Amino acid sequence: MSADAERLSDRPDRRQIGVALVASALLVAAALGVQAVRETHYRIKSVDATLLYVTSGASLNRLALSYHALLADVYWIRAIQHYGDTRLSTSQTKQYSALYPLLDLATSLDPRFTLAYRFGAMFLAEPFPAGAGRVDLAIALLNKGLAAEPAKWQYAQDAGFVYYWWLQDYKQAAMWFDKASRIEGAPWWLRSLAATTLVQGGDRRSSKVLWMQLYETAESDWVRTNARLRLAQLDALDEIDQLAGQVARYQQIVGRFPTDWEALRTAGLLNAIPSDPSGAPYLLDATQPGGVTIARSSKLYPLPPQFVRKAGPPS
Amino acid sequence: MARVILLVAYHVFKESVRDKVLYNLVLFATLMISASYLVGQLTAGQDIKIIKDLGLAASAVFGLFIAVFIGVGLVWKEVDRRSVYNVLVKPLRRHHFIVGKFIGLALTLLVNLAVMATAVYLVLAVMAWTEPGLANAAIVDAPVVDPNLLKAFLLIYVQLLVVTALALFFSTFSSPMLSAALTFGLYVVGHFNADLAHFENVVKSRAAARLAGALYYLLPNLAPFDVKAAVVHGQAVPAGYVLLTCGYGLLYAAAVLGLAMLVFARRDFK
Amino acid sequence: MAAIETDGLTKDYAVGFWRPRPYRALDGVTLRVEANEVFGFLGPNGAGKTTTLKLLMQLIYPTAGRISILGRPAGDPEVRRRVGFLPEAPYFYDYLTAEELLTYFAGLFGIRNPERRRRVGDLLDRLGIGGERRLPMRKFSKGMLQRVGLAQALINDPEIVFLDEPMSGLDPIGRRDVCALILSLRDRGCTVFFSSHILSDAETLCSRVGILAGGKMVATGLLSEMLAFKVAGWELVVAGIDAAALGMLGAVVRGVAPMADGRCTVDLAPDCEPERVIAAVHDRGGRLVSLNPMRLTLEDVFVAQVKASQAAAPAGRFMPEG
Repeated sequence: MSADAERLSDRPDRRQIGVALVASALLVAAALGVQAVRETHYRIKSVDATLLYVTSGASLNRLALSYHALLADVYWIRAIQHYGDTRLSTSQTKQYSALYPLLDLATSLDPRFTLAYRFGAMFLAEPFPAGAGRVDLAIALLNKGLAAEPAKWQYAQDAGFVYYWWLQDYKQAAMWFDKASRIEGAPWWLRSLAATTLVQGGDRRSSKVLWMQLYETAESDWVRTNARLRLAQLDALDEIDQLAGQVARYQQIVGRFPTDWEALRTAGLLNAIPSDPSGAPYLLDATQPGGVTIARSSKLYPLPPQFVRKAGPPS
Repeated sequence: MARVILLVAYHVFKESVRDKVLYNLVLFATLMISASYLVGQLTAGQDIKIIKDLGLAASAVFGLFIAVFIGVGLVWKEVDRRSVYNVLVKPLRRHHFIVGKFIGLALTLLVNLAVMATAVYLVLAVMAWTEPGLANAAIVDAPVVDPNLLKAFLLIYVQLLVVTALALFFSTFSSPMLSAALTFGLYVVGHFNADLAHFENVVKSRAAARLAGALYYLLPNLAPFDVKAAVVHGQAVPAGYVLLTCGYGLLYAAAVLGLAMLVFARRDFK
Repeated sequence: MAAIETDGLTKDYAVGFWRPRPYRALDGVTLRVEANEVFGFLGPNGAGKTTTLKLLMQLIYPTAGRISILGRPAGDPEVRRRVGFLPEAPYFYDYLTAEELLTYFAGLFGIRNPERRRRVGDLLDRLGIGGERRLPMRKFSKGMLQRVGLAQALINDPEIVFLDEPMSGLDPIGRRDVCALILSLRDRGCTVFFSSHILSDAETLCSRVGILAGGKMVATGLLSEMLAFKVAGWELVVAGIDAAALGMLGAVVRGVAPMADGRCTVDLAPDCEPERVIAAVHDRGGRLVSLNPMRLTLEDVFVAQVKASQAAAPAGRFMPEG
């Protein structure tokens, strides 16, 4: 048999299989590279409010062909992406215009989509630019949730919080907390919450109690995280008041506004550079009431304006 | 080498012509013409949009069916009927056969899509000519006979090439029914591919989120090929976007073809 | 250089999905075919003849062993250029005509017009389907498809032609035509390798045969050697002498059978000297009518070898597990 018959057969051997697989992998990698280039240079926004082809929940329900829950998840993912993209965007004309439609679609497809209602309301209610700033839409969404599941006292509670926190409408808030407390299965403290709100609405301390309750009974991470954020903000406000007191004392002693925290430290009024619960340092700013403010870059920015004291030491 | 590949390709095209596949164009033309007549009864302004939407969507759907139903039989039929024995013993390598089959179906799709695009443009031109008021800029976003439609058609074509490559790949080892199911499945998943990347927002399990992330990279990302809505609304679709998306599609199709060639080269024809 | 050579060719299949057991379709097949020979590859159904042919054509890949065709490995493009193959019960393309198919295949070999047109026309006529050249092949009968198969095997004027059951589906006239074709190929210098289970064809056509049974090569060699001048006996027909007298002629007479009209058929043992017996018959007043040697037919050899191999491997071709 001649030497040409060395190879057993023409079949691709292990080496050739390896080469072929590597070549395919490289092609896929190249494809992904091209895709990445496209994504950095061109952003044909896949979710543009004007391009949402199906805006009616009812018609989408029919189109979904019994895959409602799955499609609801898809729209929920897109809602979060839209929220995240818009929030991080530095464009001047950014808008959360597709947020409510997407949430509406997700909840039309799956009327029991608790997360979409609760978290969605949170996104919608938060003031622009961190959120959509549409309290009305948030309430509408929560009402939709209650219509679908009247036994969900959490939606009523959330609505109460929206009125309490963002609109400072303590009468409405108390009414919602009351409504929530009447629903079977609601926790005992909602009743007292209703009462407290009515009486002491604007109080920082009672707010802390509210958020603490929410934090401890939260059903999901997000709700818990949000509560923790609010608590931190309230703590920061307390700390700012204390620092404002030190600043005022410095002004009394030295006769002018302190140049920086070092000055206060030298004057023996402080031990170290103060920082807020998230770790960002506080700033001295003569234009702000009390002279102390939170850093813009802090995670707690912006602080709820309704609780910022105008002037003077804490009570 | 090119000669044998082109010969195989020519015969795939010839077979689809003789199997009367191109008669789907007759159905398409009928659809477009009757739609344009019916739509004329509707309120002004929306007609153009509807014709464009219908034309693009129908082209994509017809093209998809051709790509899948011919694609899944390209290799399987020959192996099943053993006509492949005669070809493979001729002086061509097995991977030439696969490439030839792919090019043949690509050619069929090209002809099909070109005719459909022409039909759409003709219908639009007739509409623009018979009713000059339709081109009123106040009510339409884009010109009636819009050259940008070609961008949409081009992207539909490249997307179909990806589908063809997948169908051909499955055809090298699996029966037509299963192959069609898998190919259609990948087509659907491909449209929701972008959402896979953000899967961790709906699942608690990190492992599932990681798996979804891996799939996001491996599975074809077909949603960006769909610029139908943008083009119809007159929104800009930059040439660079079209080029890069086509590049992605062609590279991905090439990768899948490579796998098809490998499977085909390794197998025994019992 | 041998035209075709295999050495220890083995093919295992894994049968079954969940716990695949290896099935040995071919076991150590070694054969050699010289140039310009007609080689008959014989065996019962399921012996592995088609498997061997597919291995030679690289449609399947061997598990072990070597193949050399025209001094090169099987599957080498140069080899493919110089051989032709007819598969068993061939199927082509419904949508093509015979003429178009041959044109296609000629194109694959790189044969250009006008040579291509000439060859296609010649082959169609030579194989008796010239009249149907424009008919779509979906309308072809089995016999016509067989002829197309032969035509496409010869389109490149090959040096070796591999035929798997070339006579299948043909009527007696068709078979005669194919026999004539094979002989004419041999006369032109071609090597022909064909598999068959019709032994009479092999006897007429082949110079060399191989017998495959149970995946193993049980006999191979020149036809003349296999049949040898192994005379199995003599058949003597005499007249004018009665059976009893014949029985007295000695131990060499194995049997006597009276025939009609006064003749007798005598079965003589192979080691006798027929001349002596004839002389003895003459002495007793008889007359010679005919004397014929009884040779082993290929069928006898075949059956004996196959039965022997089946006895040697009763367990079949599934390999022991593990």
